[in-house]
Parts: sequence; structure tokens; C-alpha cells
Amino acid sequence: MEPRRPSRAVIDPKVRQVGFITPNAPPQQPVRTQSYPPESNSPPLSESPASNSLSPVMIPPPRHLSDNLTAYRTPAVPVPESSRRRAEPAAVACSYDPSESLFGTSSPAPSPLASSRLVVDGEFSEESWFKKSDSAKFASSFPGGGFDLTTVKNVGVAAAVAAKKPAAVSGNEKSKASGAESKNELPSGSGSKTSKVKMTKSERRSLQESQRAAKAGGNKSAGASSSRAAKQPQQKKDAAPAPPSVAASEKKGTDRPPEKERKKDVPAPRMQFDDKSRVEKAKKRAVVNQTEVRNRVELFRHLPQYEHGTQLPDLESKFFRNDPMHRAVYKVGLQYLAGDITGGNARCIAMLQAFSEAIRDYTTPAEKTLTRDLTAKIGSYVSFLIECRPLSISMGNAIRFLKNRIAKLPLTLSESEAKTSLCLDIDRFINEKIILADRVIVRHASTKIRDGDVLLTYGSSCVVEMLLSHALELGKKFHVVIVDSRPKLEGQSLLRRLVANGLNCTYTHLNAVSYIMHEVTRVFLGASSILSNGTVYSRVGTAAVAMVANAFSVPVLICCEAYKFHERVQLDSICFNELGDPQAVAKVSGRGDVNYLGSLGNKDNLQLLNLMYDATPSEYISMIVTDYGMIPPTSVPVIVREYCRDQLWI
Amino acid sequence: MMELEIELKKASDSLKSWDTTSISLTAGCDLFMRYVTRTSALEYEDFNSAKSRLIERAEKFGEISYKARRIIAMLSQDFIFDGCTILVHGFSRVVLEVLKTAAQNKKLFRVLCTEGRPDRTGLRLSNELAKLDVPVKLLIDSAVAYSMDEIDMVFVGADGVVESGGIINMMGTYQIALVAHSMNKPVYVAAESYKFARLYPLDQKDMAPALRPIDFGVPIPSKVEVETSARDYTPPQYLTLLFTDLGVLTPSVVSDELIQLYL
Repeated sequence: MEPRRPSRAVIDPKVRQVGFITPNAPPQQPVRTQSYPPESNSPPLSESPASNSLSPVMIPPPRHLSDNLTAYRTPAVPVPESSRRRAEPAAVACSYDPSESLFGTSSPAPSPLASSRLVVDGEFSEESWFKKSDSAKFASSFPGGGFDLTTVKNVGVAAAVAAKKPAAVSGNEKSKASGAESKNELPSGSGSKTSKVKMTKSERRSLQESQRAAKAGGNKSAGASSSRAAKQPQQKKDAAPAPPSVAASEKKGTDRPPEKERKKDVPAPRMQFDDKSRVEKAKKRAVVNQTEVRNRVELFRHLPQYEHGTQLPDLESKFFRNDPMHRAVYKVGLQYLAGDITGGNARCIAMLQAFSEAIRDYTTPAEKTLTRDLTAKIGSYVSFLIECRPLSISMGNAIRFLKNRIAKLPLTLSESEAKTSLCLDIDRFINEKIILADRVIVRHASTKIRDGDVLLTYGSSCVVEMLLSHALELGKKFHVVIVDSRPKLEGQSLLRRLVANGLNCTYTHLNAVSYIMHEVTRVFLGASSILSNGTVYSRVGTAAVAMVANAFSVPVLICCEAYKFHERVQLDSICFNELGDPQAVAKVSGRGDVNYLGSLGNKDNLQLLNLMYDATPSEYISMIVTDYGMIPPTSVPVIVREYCRDQLWI
Repeated sequence: MMELEIELKKASDSLKSWDTTSISLTAGCDLFMRYVTRTSALEYEDFNSAKSRLIERAEKFGEISYKARRIIAMLSQDFIFDGCTILVHGFSRVVLEVLKTAAQNKKLFRVLCTEGRPDRTGLRLSNELAKLDVPVKLLIDSAVAYSMDEIDMVFVGADGVVESGGIINMMGTYQIALVAHSMNKPVYVAAESYKFARLYPLDQKDMAPALRPIDFGVPIPSKVEVETSARDYTPPQYLTLLFTDLGVLTPSVVSDELIQLYL
């Protein structure tokens, strides 16, 4: 994976320099710890925590922590320090009282993590570059995954922090002293990365975590708290450590995650703790994310990852706490959460129908305009849905359409007329863009199926299923190979339905795809979205199937409705993706005896990664079948330009 | 108005039925229909003015197609440099026009012609070129790879340009394009824009078959099968540029044009 990442000065996977090093006003400690070896051209790697002045973007290399720590002692600039403190896992944690204690307790454990986290700061820098906007005040506390949220709440006193620091630091190579020093700075919540100390991965991680936690908790204290809070939201992508921050970041998540996913955390120092509802939400999130932090794969820290299975009670409790969500939206959200509704089209239709119902029941409050209030309401619904499960691109486009329609409502309409018109628009959208589009796609694509063909499909796409059934109805003779993969095993349901229809099917797993490919004549795949450079964003595993097909010169046809096209461009599967439940990778449903990873579940050097999507480059795609006809992958931006940009969405 | 459209459609269909295998005919008819009917003339109240508008557009279409060859010849002049060696396959009047214009502009180049069995296109083309005093050399079809070293570029026409940006042309074009591509020689296609068709073949067999008998000169035993297909499909990745009256295009633009025209 490393080579795929943009060229960054990366020392090792853990240390990810994001490259936005902006030595903040050198004022404070001009001298930097060697936290940023790659970038440390500027600040001599002196131990002085002055590096705080550096933007939070800097990722302190987990090296010589102890050295740095001592250097960090400068109690100056709270801001920089706090961020610096990040390096010292414990230190950060220590900065805050309650959190400290929390960290303190957890420090032994987390500290190794934190230390490893330290390097992870690099990743942080990804998020942390947001911090830049927020000033270097952000303590580099990492969303203290694993740290009790409550600690976050506590505005630790610097002293307290200081006290903690040593404790936290103990886990790391960092010297306690540094911890102490960092304490001073911690409260400042500086965002700079400090430690240049190289720690083991686990140490770094624990350091990071403690820092995050400290940040989360420490936010309360002085500026640090705010910076932390702010920082945490920024680290939205950085899941885990600070549940509150995560929650906050969640909240920050706009209803356009795909577009703003990175910006989500940018928001100004979220006074997440000032905003009660956010706090509550954060709390909810916090509980959920706690245990995920440890085992997050560093490369994917920018993506949110939640603990599965624990969200339901939180959601329920939350439901009544805040503005009551419309029951239909709530229901849909729960269905997403539970995984009852999967697939781009199904999710989109369910969401739109829920919105339609909500709009029908909607009444404009007094002295508010329908358009604005309704848009805000839809926005809140969308935020809720995001919490349940990140939006798919099709849903994002549908939401854009809906908001567009709301905005275009003529002001002269009465409320009931407006509502009817909106519901009609939604119904028309579903009908034209999804249902009829599917029919057109099936009609076009079935011309490409000849008698005697062996068709291969992967996973379960509703359009491909419709296509195969339709081709069967047309009387064509062909054979279907269904390739499936764990952990979702979506192909099994498709297999069941196709066999019930009377199709000849072969079922196999992804590891056998190159074995079976030489017999295949056509590959039909579905897509969650197609991006402007022709990249197909689809269920993880699709890229592998397409590449193998290409190697065997088998044409690959993607069946995708045009409303799923997006003007984004994605070059790899890392920068934007969705992380599923990592435990699903370790467990086999129905086989309780297969539990080889049982005891290793919480090891630091084992991370489970369950990606949901991947990106297939356009050179492996022969043709895309859309409701506008059959187009080559290079013509996706043409469709986007001609048909998706105009506001009419017709 | 609707009646007129129906009449036009009927006429177009009967034209197409005359030669079902000709892609350019089909594509041309379709494009003509689109071009002519895709106009606000149909909303005119006065039938006569609408009719004259349609006729106007139709004549314009004819003019464009007629002038297309000249435009293409003009555009391709920049690509033919002094001392170059051009490989030509099949007998395309557009390519002939290109070479004619180049000769008239006093460019020094030589042409290698493939024999083009069984249609003997190479012989016809070399006749024409000899009249222009262009140095011509005839190759048998199998000698293309052998001569590819000394070739600077390949020029072909097209029966049809498909949505993916590939072309359907006389049998042998795919072969030549493959060899040229593997040896890094550019393959230029000269085609008028009315040949853009809404087809999308995935492989060689995915097209309507166009068969023509091959005369080997000696009787073939009845048990022996003969591949009589007259044309093949060259995928877009082997083509460098298309010279059309719309300009010099890359293969991916073909779909763009088709979308703009048809959708």
C-alpha cells in the first residue's frame, strides 16, 4: 500500500508527514524535536518542544521521545505544546485531570499504543492539517480511542496533565520528565507534534491515544480543550480515540461526506462540549468507538470506524433526546445500521421514500420559510443517516437533487402544494432515474449476451440480476458464474434467486477467479458509483475481478445508472472508502468453532481491516451500460457535464 | 410534421435495407434523421416554412458530407511531412483525397499499399497514386510486419466509427493496427463524421456479419471452410487519431460527439 500513496516524505508507515509543514510562528520554540525528520529541515531537531509552533500537521517521529520530552518542558506556548504533547502519549493524556487519570490508568496499556500513535501522528497530520486553520493550538491529542470520553470532558489542569504525563509516558520511551514538561504544554493543547522520539509502534500508538484522549479531555482545559475539541472533530476521520471527538466530527460530517469528507474536521474549534446536543451525540459515539481505536489500520485512519453492535442502544436513547427524528427516517437509519438494506439503489430508494414521508408530515413552523426550514430538516436527517452508515455516492446525489428541488420551489406555492410537488419530484426521481433507468440498462445490456455465453458476475448487483433474468426471459442460452467473497457473501442470495429462476449457475469464491476466467466470455459488474476519470467505485473485490478479466481479454461491462455518476476523481481505493466491522473478518458466521483470532483480538500488532469499496481503473473496463446507452469509460465526464450538472436533473 | 417524420423514417429504412451491412449507410441515414429533425423548425406553425427549414438543413447536411473530404484532407496535411513513408490499407476515397492534396502541395512522400485481397483494393489505389506521380510500392498483406520498420505512419479509412472510438474497416485493418501499435507507429483514420455509428462491439464477432465470397483461383474442397467476413473491428487503443470534418479527434471524443448528437 505504501507505494500507492502520494509521495510524502515517509520515514516508515507510521510516520506520515502530510507535507503541510508550516512552521508556525517560530516564536515559541524554534527548535523542534526531531519529530519531523523529513521536514525538520527547519527546526533543528532540538528537543525543545518549540516545535509546537509548527503546525499540527507535523508528525513527530516516534524517536527519542525522551529527549524531546525533556526539551518539551518549556511550559511556554501552551498551544504548541499540547500538540506536541501528543507525542507523549501519556503526557498528553496527563495534561488533563480526569482524562489524565483516565489516561493514567490506561496509560500503561494505551501508552504503548499511544507511542505508536505518535508516529501515527503522521496520519493525524492528515487531519491535522485541518488544524492548521484552527491554529496550532490543537493539542495533538488523538481522539483518545480507548480513552474514556469522560476524561475528555474533564478539563485537566495543566498540572494535572503534567502529572499524568509522566504516567502516560512511562509506557513509552519518553522520559517522564518530558511528560512533565509536556504537561505544561498540554493544557495549551498545542497542535504541534513534538516527540522526535522514536518509539515502538505500540508505544507510539499509546502515546497518540493518550494524547488524543488528553486532547479530548483536555479540551476542557484552557485553550487546549477547545483546541482539542476542535482537533478532535477534525480528526473525524481519525476514528476512535476520542469518541466525543468522533461524535463531534460526525456531527461535523455534513450530509455530503464524499465531497467534504476531509473538510469535515476542519470546522472551527468545535465547542463540542458547549453544544449540548453535540455532546450527547458525542457521548453516544464515544461509547461506540472506544474499542476500535486500538486496532485501526494506520493507512485508513482518515476513515471513520465504529464499533459494531453497540450503536443501537445509543441511537435509541438519542432518538428521544434531540429533535425527534421522523419515524420513517429513523427506521431507515436503523435498517442501515443493522445492514438490512444494502446496495446503492436500495439504500437510495429507502432514503428517498423516508424523506418523502417526512415531507408529507412536515409542517412549517411559524415565521420560518418552508425552503430554509425544510432544507435544514433534511440536513439533520442526513446527518443522522450518516451516523448510522456513511452515505453512498448515489445517496449523496439524490440528496443534492432533493435540496435542489426544495431550493427551486416557487415562493408562491402554498405549503401543501409545495409538499405535494416535492413528493412528486421524489417519486419521479425514483421512477426515472432508478426504476426506468434499470429497465433501459437491462435492454441495452441484453443485446450483448449471446447464446452460448458464459457470464461472470461478482457479488450481488440488483441491475445485473435484472439483466440476467431478462436475458433468460428473452430465451437466450447462457451460463452464469457467480463469484463471491467474504465476509459479506452477498453472492449467495443472488445465487439463490437465479437458481430459483432456472438459470444455470456456477458459484465460486474470489480466490478461484483466475482459475475460472478462461472459460468466461463476458463479465457483468455493478457499481456503487462511477467517477469522472472512468474509475468504477464498487464493492471491494470488483477491481480484482476486472483485472483478471482484462488479463484474459474478457470484456468487462459495468451496469450503472447515470444518477450514480460523480464528478469526483479517485486514483486509489484508500483516500475515500468505507470501513466495515473488522471483527467480521475474523469470525465466520455460523461457525463458532472457527475462532482462530479469538485471543489475538486485542493485540497491538494485529489490525483487522474490512474495506467495503474499491476503485477499478478505467483501463480494465470495456463498456459502461447506463440509461443513456452504452458508453466507453472515457465518456463519463461527458454525461456528467451534459446531464447531471444542470439543475433540472431531468 | 409527425407525418413528415414518419415519411422520412420510411425512406431512410428503405435505403438502409438496400445494403444492410453497410455501416456508413446506416449511420449516415440515422445522423441525417437526427440532424434534420432535431430542429425547432418542427415547432413552426406554418408548414411551409418548417418544410423549407428542413430542406435547408438537409442540403446543409449534404454539403457538409460532400465537403467533409476536403476538410479532412486539409487537416491531415500537417501530419504528412517530407520524406515520410505512409502505409495505406483498403481503398478509401477519403485517404485518396488526403494523398492527392499532399501531392498537390508538393510534399515528398512514398506510399506502401497492401494488396488488399480479395478486393484488390491495393491495385486500384496504386493505379490512382501512380497517376499522381507518387512513388508507390505494393505489398502482399502478409508483408506488413516485415515492412513496418520503414513506415512512418499508417493511414486507413473507415466503414464506420463506433462509440468506443474504434473503427470498422476492411478485413486486415486490425492486424495492421496491432503491428503498428506494437512498433510505436501512429495509426491515423480518415473518416467523415456521418460515419459515427451507435454501435459498440465488444469483440470481433459482436457485429452484424458482412460476408463476401473469396475467390482463391483454385477450387476448394467442400469440406474446407472459408472465413468470408469482409471487415473487422479495431479497438480504440490501437488508433492514434481520427481525422474528421469535425476536426482532429482522439478516439475517446467520438463518444462525446455521439452523445451530444443523439442525446
